[in-house]
Amino acid sequence: MLDLIDSLEKNGLAELASASSSDSLEAWRLAYLAGSGKLKTAMAGFKDVPKEQKPAVGARMNQVKAALEQAFEARKLAIASSGAVPQPFDVTEPGFVSSQSVGRAHIITRVIAELCEVFGRMGFEVAEGPELEDDEHNFIKLNIPAGHPARDPADNFYVDDPRTTAVPRMIRSQTSTVQVRVMEAAVKAGGGRLAHPIKIISPGRVYRPDTVDATHSFMFHQIEGLYLDRDVSMVDLKTTLLQFARAYFGEDAEVRLRPSYFPFTEPSAELDMKIRLRPDQPARWIELGGCGMVDPAVLQHCGIDPEEWTGFAFGFGIERIAMGRYSIPDIRLLFENDLRFLKQV
Amino acid sequence: MHIAANWLNSYLEPGNLTPAEIEAALIDAGFEIESQEKLPDGDTRFDVAITSNRGDALCLVGLAREAAAKTGRKLKSPGTGGKEKPEPAPASEDVSSAIKLENRVPQACPMFTVRVIKGVKVGPSPAWLVRALESVGQRSINNVVDVTNFINFELGNPCHVFDLKKLAGSELVIREATEGEKLLTLDGKQRVLKAGEIVVADAQRAQGLAGIMGGGESEVSSSTTDIALEMATWDPVRVRSAARRLQIRTDASHRYERFVDARTLEAASRRAASLIVEVAGGQLLKCVLNAGAPAASPTVVSLRPERCAKILGITVPQDRIVSILKSIEIAVQPQGNALQCTIPPFRPDLTREIDLIEEIARQHGLDQIPLAPRLAVSVKRPQDRVRARRELSAVLGGLGFFETVTFSFTRPERAAAFVSTGLSTIGVDDDRRGEEPTLRPSLLTGLLACRKANLDGQVTNPGGVRLYETASVFASGEGNAAVEHRSLGLLMDVPFSGKTATLAEKQEGIRSLRGAIEAVVTSLGGTTVASKLDIRPEKPLSAGFEPGAFATVRIGETRIGHFGLLAAPSVKAFGLDQPLVGAELRVDDLLALYPPRGSITPLPEFPSVERDLSPVVAESTTWADVSRLVQGVGSTNEGKRIESFRFIGTYRGKQLGEGKKSVTLRVVFRDPTRTLRHEEVDPEVGVLMDRMKTELHAEFRGV
Repeated sequence: MLDLIDSLEKNGLAELASASSSDSLEAWRLAYLAGSGKLKTAMAGFKDVPKEQKPAVGARMNQVKAALEQAFEARKLAIASSGAVPQPFDVTEPGFVSSQSVGRAHIITRVIAELCEVFGRMGFEVAEGPELEDDEHNFIKLNIPAGHPARDPADNFYVDDPRTTAVPRMIRSQTSTVQVRVMEAAVKAGGGRLAHPIKIISPGRVYRPDTVDATHSFMFHQIEGLYLDRDVSMVDLKTTLLQFARAYFGEDAEVRLRPSYFPFTEPSAELDMKIRLRPDQPARWIELGGCGMVDPAVLQHCGIDPEEWTGFAFGFGIERIAMGRYSIPDIRLLFENDLRFLKQV
Repeated sequence: MHIAANWLNSYLEPGNLTPAEIEAALIDAGFEIESQEKLPDGDTRFDVAITSNRGDALCLVGLAREAAAKTGRKLKSPGTGGKEKPEPAPASEDVSSAIKLENRVPQACPMFTVRVIKGVKVGPSPAWLVRALESVGQRSINNVVDVTNFINFELGNPCHVFDLKKLAGSELVIREATEGEKLLTLDGKQRVLKAGEIVVADAQRAQGLAGIMGGGESEVSSSTTDIALEMATWDPVRVRSAARRLQIRTDASHRYERFVDARTLEAASRRAASLIVEVAGGQLLKCVLNAGAPAASPTVVSLRPERCAKILGITVPQDRIVSILKSIEIAVQPQGNALQCTIPPFRPDLTREIDLIEEIARQHGLDQIPLAPRLAVSVKRPQDRVRARRELSAVLGGLGFFETVTFSFTRPERAAAFVSTGLSTIGVDDDRRGEEPTLRPSLLTGLLACRKANLDGQVTNPGGVRLYETASVFASGEGNAAVEHRSLGLLMDVPFSGKTATLAEKQEGIRSLRGAIEAVVTSLGGTTVASKLDIRPEKPLSAGFEPGAFATVRIGETRIGHFGLLAAPSVKAFGLDQPLVGAELRVDDLLALYPPRGSITPLPEFPSVERDLSPVVAESTTWADVSRLVQGVGSTNEGKRIESFRFIGTYRGKQLGEGKKSVTLRVVFRDPTRTLRHEEVDPEVGVLMDRMKTELHAEFRGV
């Protein structure tokens, strides 16, 4: 039996190597891998193998099966990319514009663009950062040291095992990582010290292993603001947020801060706004996000002197606003991208 | 954290806060009220959310301190309410004769203290104790255990009582568990421990899971007479990881995960012992056994009122600062321009000046921070990148594309079909992602899944469904280095009229997608950049594309992406059975093209002459070959009147023969100084035809 399997592997691989077109490749597949192919036939003989030999023969059989399947996929790719089969397509023919309907940007993108525009008027520039981060930027420099509960693997998507990797990679759990990236870059550009104020807004995707339901998703969007300057205070923070609220949600918007705790800001506050998400609704208080004065430890981690520079940061979720504005009942609709939904919002 | 209004008021002088006042004070101090409930006896129970830095507030006294500070009341120390008796006089017997204590892991257990009470009578608790516990949702168990629960609620110091007679060797050892060591916990479950988890043991076996739950074998029962009272503190990280692994969450573990300072243990232990004697009788043995590191000296933090004003943007008067700090039991000593603040042991979170500034902001009230009438803004140049994104959305919308936002994860086999040669996929190390742990190397995986969802929803759209997305894609390159870049993915239906799409229809699809790419590049970069657009047929970079129907896209020499007809198997893998074309372009490269630039040539004064040519060429001759030839002729004197030319169409048919096609192009001739006569362009047309015959082996039918 083992000899039979050996020769099956040897012949199979040799014949596969000589298959040079998709037709001959298909013929090979039928001969070896298909339901009535040689591999299945050989496997049918397995029942006659003496019991004591079964483990060894079975293992070898699986090995050969995997080898042939793997080689087939590799060969398929090789033939596909060899260009050996000339196709009557000509990608050099010029393009033409054909459009029978008008599409549009996604509601999330549009809300982000609206927010960036309002903050842009207040002097904030849009900054972007990577989503594949490391715990240095997602945690350590944001004053979330080793052992902090927020770093628990249960609450994050790690790419590398945090128990065995010195600086494990992860997909970011918050857009605050961009703050760190921007501050580091500014310090580098200033030759080791911060030379100019930083005023940025950074929208983007973040990931947390939440159980998906009508209001939670493991992927969602945040927007984060950071303003560092000489003599930035909580008065500036509150004023900026109020100006934003009135510009975006309407002249009667109000802002309220409640003391809270975040590792990267101090003093920290919850950010509530009394707004109408839709013009036809009465204004009501909504918990929008968090904010505070940038913790001096965060500044120091980025090489910025907290005695010279002070600043504030704030962040909130995009989905909340998008869903409120269009009375979207379920967050999952945003990510299903059914055209019948996309055309409505 | 559950609290009740009456219990909270018992620590306040005057203790008359209404439930509404309690709610307002706590919210104002930074403690969210998650719910509240009126109890049958008229009391009110609150569920208060405590931020993770405020372990000290996980108890009634902690929250009473906050409420007192906010409402200008005085905080009364526990045990001075009148109903508790003064501390009992200790027996003459010393605790060390009754029990031995050994702490082998002081880094995991900074301090462990034991008091012993002999001759207790375990029984029902007095009414006041039952009522207090019930008001916060705790069931009364017996007088001794109730005191430990009461103390944890009152002071935030979890404590545990052992039946002294059930401790083998009358000793307590704090040590690491051995691998596989078994422990029966109070909830009746047999736990199997891992090496390194911390236990409180007697001479023979583990009797408690440190900081999480006591053991069932030394539990206090109705026959218990002598007890050992444990009051300890544990390393938060070790408590958390053991509690997580064993999936036990207790009030004790919740509290210890937030750090209990060793310096708070003595007072709590004394209070617990005296309450036990009060409600269960017995005699407290003399002294206490301590095992652990010496208590840290008090933290002193220097606070500059000037710095406080700089951060808050308002000047809180110095006497107000002092009174706020005193209200939360921080001792204040002025020294030069600063205040030397001595932090009480129950506030280990206060170690820096900024921590004190936050306390001042919190207690002074964030609503006291005024709003400025306007913002000072330095005007900045609009960001090209932001404008370019808007332009990109607009042009793609005009081309009939709907933007999607799809998840960044996919199945490994779907990713494999679209990862470019030389790269490998990368995924998260997390089984919660189930079948989709791979970070997608291409947006086409998301777009195809989305196309399938629309198919399932029987969605149709005039001209077919067109989708796009801009998002990050991920792969692993050389040396396992991760590569992430922002990508624009385009996916288009190839419309067809028959049962299956013809080659010509698929070719139309390819051209239609190419047209979209050209439109995007022209809108973002203008004609100057569009003229540098270089689309080259190449071998597909991944198995996802059909060989022979794939091209790379370059601007000058920079490759910015690729497009082509998607290979049937890779489309089938998504449950789709229709021709689709897809493209992926680097967003950063596209956005960098902005703003559009072009140069103006004056409009012609004289009319042109147009001629159509339809060379029959081999299938392998591409439009690029034809185009290059015409351009070549146009750049010489022989073709000096050729102003421009454009593609009209390709025709295949039986009469042309196998492997042949007829390509029609329209050539525009013009003389900038006068009107050309029709026959004047004949020589140049002749040159074009001759060159096509010799160089492209072209034939001309009916000529």
